[in-house]
Amino acid sequence: MLDSDDIGRRRREPAKRAARDEIDMNDRGPVRMKPPKFDYHAPDTVREAVAVLADVGDSAVVLSGGQSLIPMLNLRLARPTDVVDLGAIDGLANLEPVDGGLEIGAMVTHRQMETNDLVASITPLAQHAAGFIGHRAIRNRGTIGGSIAHADPAAEWPAVLLALDGTITLASAETTRTVPGDQFFEALFTTAKRPDELITSVYLSGRFQNSWGFSEFQRRTGDFATVAVAVGCVIATGAVVEARIALAGVAERPVRCPDAEQALIGTRPGRAVDAAIAARDSFEPVGDCHGSTEFRKRLVFAETKRAVTQALGPDLESRANA
Amino acid sequence: MVESQARRFFGSRVSRIEDDRLLRGRGRYVADIELPRELAAKFVRSYEAHASVAEIELGDAVEAEGVHAVFTGADFADSEIRCVSSYEGFQVSAQPILALDRVRFAGEALAMVIADDEYLAEDAAEMVFADLAPLPVVLDLDAALASDAEVLHDGWTDNAYVRRAVKTDGFDKAAAGAPHRLTIDLRNARHGAIPMENRACVADYDRGSNRFTLHTTTQVPHLIRAGLALAMDVPESQIRVIAPDVGGGFGVKAQLYTEEVACCLAARELGRPIKWVEDRREHFVASHHSREHRHRVTGYFDDLGRILALEADIRVDMGAYSVFPWTATMDNGMAMGILPGPYKIREYSATGTPVCTNKTPYGAYRGVARPAACFSIERLIDQIARHRGLDRAEVRRRNLLGADDYPWHSPSGLVYDSGSLAESLESVLQLGEYDVLLTEQAEARAQGRLFGIGLVAFTEQTAHTHQEFKQRGVPIVFGYETAKVRLDASGTAVVSASIHDHGQGLETTLAQIAADRLGLDLDKVRVEYGDTNQVAYGAGTFASRSAVLAGGAVTRAADDVAATLKEVAAHELEAAVEDMVIERGRLSVRGSPVVSIDISELCRLTYQRPERLPEGIEPSLESSRTYDAAPGTGAYTNAAHLSTVEIDPMTGKTAVLTYAIVEDCGPMINPMIVEGQIFGGVAQGIGTALFEEFLYDENGQPQSLTFSDYLIPTSTDVPDFAVAHLETPSPFTIGGIKGMGEGGAIAPGAVIASAIEDALSHLGETVVTDLPLTPERVLTHIDQAIAQGEGQ
Ligand SMILES: Cc1cc2nc3c(=O)[nH]c(=O)nc-3n(C[C@H](O)[C@H](O)[C@H](O)COP(=O)(O)OP(=O)(O)OC[C@H]3O[C@@H](n4cnc5c(N)ncnc54)[C@H](O)[C@@H]3O)c2cc1C
Repeated sequence: MLDSDDIGRRRREPAKRAARDEIDMNDRGPVRMKPPKFDYHAPDTVREAVAVLADVGDSAVVLSGGQSLIPMLNLRLARPTDVVDLGAIDGLANLEPVDGGLEIGAMVTHRQMETNDLVASITPLAQHAAGFIGHRAIRNRGTIGGSIAHADPAAEWPAVLLALDGTITLASAETTRTVPGDQFFEALFTTAKRPDELITSVYLSGRFQNSWGFSEFQRRTGDFATVAVAVGCVIATGAVVEARIALAGVAERPVRCPDAEQALIGTRPGRAVDAAIAARDSFEPVGDCHGSTEFRKRLVFAETKRAVTQALGPDLESRANA
Repeated sequence: MVESQARRFFGSRVSRIEDDRLLRGRGRYVADIELPRELAAKFVRSYEAHASVAEIELGDAVEAEGVHAVFTGADFADSEIRCVSSYEGFQVSAQPILALDRVRFAGEALAMVIADDEYLAEDAAEMVFADLAPLPVVLDLDAALASDAEVLHDGWTDNAYVRRAVKTDGFDKAAAGAPHRLTIDLRNARHGAIPMENRACVADYDRGSNRFTLHTTTQVPHLIRAGLALAMDVPESQIRVIAPDVGGGFGVKAQLYTEEVACCLAARELGRPIKWVEDRREHFVASHHSREHRHRVTGYFDDLGRILALEADIRVDMGAYSVFPWTATMDNGMAMGILPGPYKIREYSATGTPVCTNKTPYGAYRGVARPAACFSIERLIDQIARHRGLDRAEVRRRNLLGADDYPWHSPSGLVYDSGSLAESLESVLQLGEYDVLLTEQAEARAQGRLFGIGLVAFTEQTAHTHQEFKQRGVPIVFGYETAKVRLDASGTAVVSASIHDHGQGLETTLAQIAADRLGLDLDKVRVEYGDTNQVAYGAGTFASRSAVLAGGAVTRAADDVAATLKEVAAHELEAAVEDMVIERGRLSVRGSPVVSIDISELCRLTYQRPERLPEGIEPSLESSRTYDAAPGTGAYTNAAHLSTVEIDPMTGKTAVLTYAIVEDCGPMINPMIVEGQIFGGVAQGIGTALFEEFLYDENGQPQSLTFSDYLIPTSTDVPDFAVAHLETPSPFTIGGIKGMGEGGAIAPGAVIASAIEDALSHLGETVVTDLPLTPERVLTHIDQAIAQGEGQ
């Protein structure tokens, strides 16, 4: 049996032809899509990739798993002049334990995160949350770097990154820098990443591996979260000494909820409900076809309560409640 | 009377013949067809729901790379789609092929760009600018009927396509005398069939013969031919319509569309084949919608919960134009007819109004109006049960038609031929283990869980022909289907039919019938369909009728051919024709099976050794027959569904846990295919119940344009099924067969609503009336139930 890591690491052959060529999917003939016209690059190294980005400027986009970008191209929501495919670059899909946490290459797929043992032991929250991303076919292709760069406010990775005190490493033609997650997500689909930069890896802390929680409301299995809540705690001698609660789907970017975090500190009883109330009262999620603001606030309450209860564990929470 | 013939394949779970092709990716769909010199079309669509068209600026589009032409409304102004109901007072809409001075729904085509390929067409289409001056939008069907509403078509007095009413003579008296009455208002959301394959067509025009060939994704090639002939004013003999493999239809591909006409006209204009492949974003706005019904129903009943009279007001949002061939009255007519459902209701009064609004036109979708009708009557029965403090199964028992009541003349004028309603109800209670479920429910409630049981009985009108369609006021009265059976000189049979198979398994079931009638193996029978050049007339596949009607026509035609074979064989074997037995590839003499001859030998003889034919027998093993299932009022399938749900009390999310079905569609040609049809239908019905809804903003902008906004059930939303069958033959049809293609989709809305209401009933009262039951709606019901319970 093939190890899924091997599948993930194996170099993917980019389609070395003009994007508009017909691609023979099978013997039934051409399958076509209708993106606007663009030039296609398949560099072999990060250095070449960032050189293209520096050269073309902000009308270039990076292609990783393509699970967000390709639909945007076909819907003509994205109209780049150049597409830089990272699929041929070696070394962007490594998973390495560093300083008690995990250094994760940008091209590590959601599926690798879901099935890898290091992820399960060092950042179990990330391993658990990965299973909520789309369907398996999407997880096989989509990457953690792509998701963080895309910064969909309803996506799992940005919230997990905030809950696990993560950082993002960016490379450009000039320099490499590391940005804390708390400073990275700025607005809807907007991050601190400059157009000439590439995400090369993300780092997740391991200090929450014993007390974490994750709960998500999706209309159907595989859907984007309506609301998702990721919780990381550090517990010392029965008391919560650090709490990070991050939410997806409640604002135009993934956000932490300081009031809810504060509610968890210490040993007070009824903390899960207090945190859930604090979270509910902290946000005014915008309503859409999947539910009104009022409905979403109730989801925030429900999912925060569940995620926090999971993080504190039944013992700690019931002892505190007693 | 059709002579009996040994059944070898009829009734057996034969694997589908077509699956070998379809599952291996060897199907051939319209988008796979590539004609020499073909060009690609792209439509520029209205972004306004209602506007006058000030100007369409073609800008650089005409000169853009690869562009051959850009057409606008004026270019095709000689054609239109106009489908007029024969109902008195029907207000006629004329849908232009490309918009003229006014657009009436967001998505209506304004211009058509023709280019070398679809990328270039798409690029050029972006350069076309339509200057649209917004007009007041009419979005809500009740608001559309208000006296001050903007009237959407010139010369109309209001936005009702027509207003209809039926009433039995004894209604007023029965209603006045009833001890109890209950009224509920029900809403079904606008949604659609959503086949996997979007629409597509390739139009070809031959200047030499002045003939059109249209390859198109349709369920009804012959009706498309009829519609094109009318729209373009071209004789039918000059139009050939081909529907190859079609990736699902479910009704949405049972209407003529403006794009089909536009591609034909553009092909004639340019002298080159024109191909258009709809993308999903277009599909959501340009392919016909369905299901948006609002009903107000009042039940008049006695202390025992027996319905004495039923009253209904039915409004259906038919969107901007009347569609061909159904008109804008189809859903309304069907709902008015079938609403009394499987119950012994004698007194009935109904009014019905199909309404014109600024939405995508409305067409057929699996079940046509029956899901809404079933929802209304079943919700009413549940309310009666609650009112009388009775078990829901018991109230149904007291109202269902009994075996002695057939043929039943319904108060709406339908004739129910036969059925097993009471039996199917009792069987589903057993199959679904109703008693065990009641215990489980008590346990769940003790743990604070919300667990509910839903129960529904219904009858599905199927295989209805002229009597029904005459009553529905359609301009073309659909009756018969045609089948041609021919044995070739190699001894294999080719069955050509006017119906179309796009997932129903008809390729297999018709082969099963033909094989039995001709004594052949299944692999000696090929079934073909989808080409107006194969058989001259017929209607196509819709309304759960193809197995009955095409099955009947195949039986007749095959029997004709078998009769000729017997003549030839009797002559060869020097025996009497009456003594010929046809079985397992041979004809033999009754009583002396060794005296026999192979069918393949007889076929070769007939065509290649005419000198050996008996006197008066032509060298032809071919027959073309029609069948209309007289008297044309339909064969009635019945079923009962029972399902359980669990609701998350904090979020309102509903999971369907179990689903049991007992169904009676008469003798089953292929039980595996019957079950596949039921399961697929129920899956779609779960979409109706929990997910599917086309939403608009206040300006009429569609909000459901991708599958992340418009949710359909996936495999994780559909439970495993328990299914059992009863087989009550129809006295009206050949072989007693009844249709069943739509049934699965009819009940789930009613079943799941019933289960959700039941899950909350211990908290307090709340009446579930609106679909789909999104988590937010369910939470509202939880709140209502709790508030009502606390207020007690
Ligand atoms: C049906 C469906 C369901 C889905 N459900 C979910 C879900 O539930 N939760 C969820 O989180 N996501 C979901 N997704 C999105 C999926 O997770 C994507 O994989 C992810 O959002 C983007 O990752 P990618 O590797 O596919 O990036 P791409 O699509 O290749 O790129 C996305 C964007 O990020 C940029 N980018 C990519 N990689 C880098 C990089 N290394 N450096 C800089 N910029 C980069 C691209 O330029 C582009 O703008 C779903 C997608 C689909 C199609």
